Amino acid sequence: MTAFYLGLASFLLLNLAAGMWRILRGPSEADRMLAAQLFGTTAVAILLLLAEAMGQPALRDVSLVFALLAAVTVVAFVRRAWRPATEEHSNDA
Amino acid sequence: MDGAVNAAAWAFDALLVLTLLWLAWRVLMGPDLFKSIVFFIAFGLVMALAWVRLRAPDVALAEAAIGAGLTGALFLAALSRLAAGERIANAKRPVENSDTGKSTRPHRGVRMVFIAMSALFFGGLAAALLSLPAEAPGLTIQVAENLSTSGVSNPVTAVLLNFRGYDTLLEMGVLFLAVVAAWSLTPAPKEPVSPPGIVLASFVRVLSPMLLLAAGYLLWAGTHAPGGAFQAGSVLAAAAVLLLLSGKDMKANWPEWPLRVVLGLGLGVFIAIGLVMMLIGHRFLEYPLDYAGDLILLIEVAATLSIGVTLAALFLGGRPQRDERK
Repeated sequence: MTAFYLGLASFLLLNLAAGMWRILRGPSEADRMLAAQLFGTTAVAILLLLAEAMGQPALRDVSLVFALLAAVTVVAFVRRAWRPATEEHSNDA
Repeated sequence: MDGAVNAAAWAFDALLVLTLLWLAWRVLMGPDLFKSIVFFIAFGLVMALAWVRLRAPDVALAEAAIGAGLTGALFLAALSRLAAGERIANAKRPVENSDTGKSTRPHRGVRMVFIAMSALFFGGLAAALLSLPAEAPGLTIQVAENLSTSGVSNPVTAVLLNFRGYDTLLEMGVLFLAVVAAWSLTPAPKEPVSPPGIVLASFVRVLSPMLLLAAGYLLWAGTHAPGGAFQAGSVLAAAAVLLLLSGKDMKANWPEWPLRVVLGLGLGVFIAIGLVMMLIGHRFLEYPLDYAGDLILLIEVAATLSIGVTLAALFLGGRPQRDERK
């Protein structure tokens, strides 16, 4: 069963590597940010699998922190860094 | 079956290392700052997985909270403060074959010297690493032997707050100095704050109590499992950052003096407990056996509050501004 969990975790990690293509290509900033958010979700799944495979229940806490803090990053993006294409900020110093 | 487990673990670790190296390369080499930030966030996530595989869940927790979460938000806020024009110029500029591009790059000879020095440094580090014994227990045995006298059952917390209390005390001092420096340098830049939309407002209302709950849980868990003041403090800071981002004003909602008291609370309580121990006949930061657990928890509560407010204040990027209330 452990090998199965680890194999599944490796598959998810491969998925994550595929998602990096989206960060690299974009095209928009929102696409890149959403790819990073998808990474967060995948990492939560990997951590839950590793918690079983490695017999370390504490890893579930790590995944909890991941899930909670991913939201903070995306709020920071929407509120601070995101410039929708239709809107022009000329003086946002 | 055992062979299959080993092969799966090996495949996972190899993938992890390759992904990490590639992400690090992308973070450093991309001309587009925004892309680098997104890659940095992804790097933090994968790095936390690497810490998990190295069986260091405490570090993984800290990396998850600070590396992937807070630092990403901090970088995004910093990026928005750079002039929009400069940002686009950086992204559009070709690295080579352009006069403006060339002017920012050091001369070829200088670069060669840097490359040689980096290679030398890397080679030295690699040699040092390879010369270490493969299975070094370090101080694990001593910590395990003395764990019963520390007042807590998580060896990491025992080391951080009892056996090596000095280190943690000085770290609290560093955080405190960082805020003092940031507040001395500049007032917090004024951000164009629009009122949050209905989605963000309700999202914040749901998420911030959960962050507070998680911070309390991590603090409590730290005595017997991975967790503790730094991890709990970062989650607390995330809640504060969320409120700041959704338009809540630190200054308007929290008058100045309680803010300052909480900023200094962790360091203050730590030093005070150390001094009280000296007064009743122990050494500085040496806890009597019966009260060690309670004292450590007290220090950690104060430290969590301070770390949370400190990191949020650093996110703000300067001292909260006076007389701006309208």
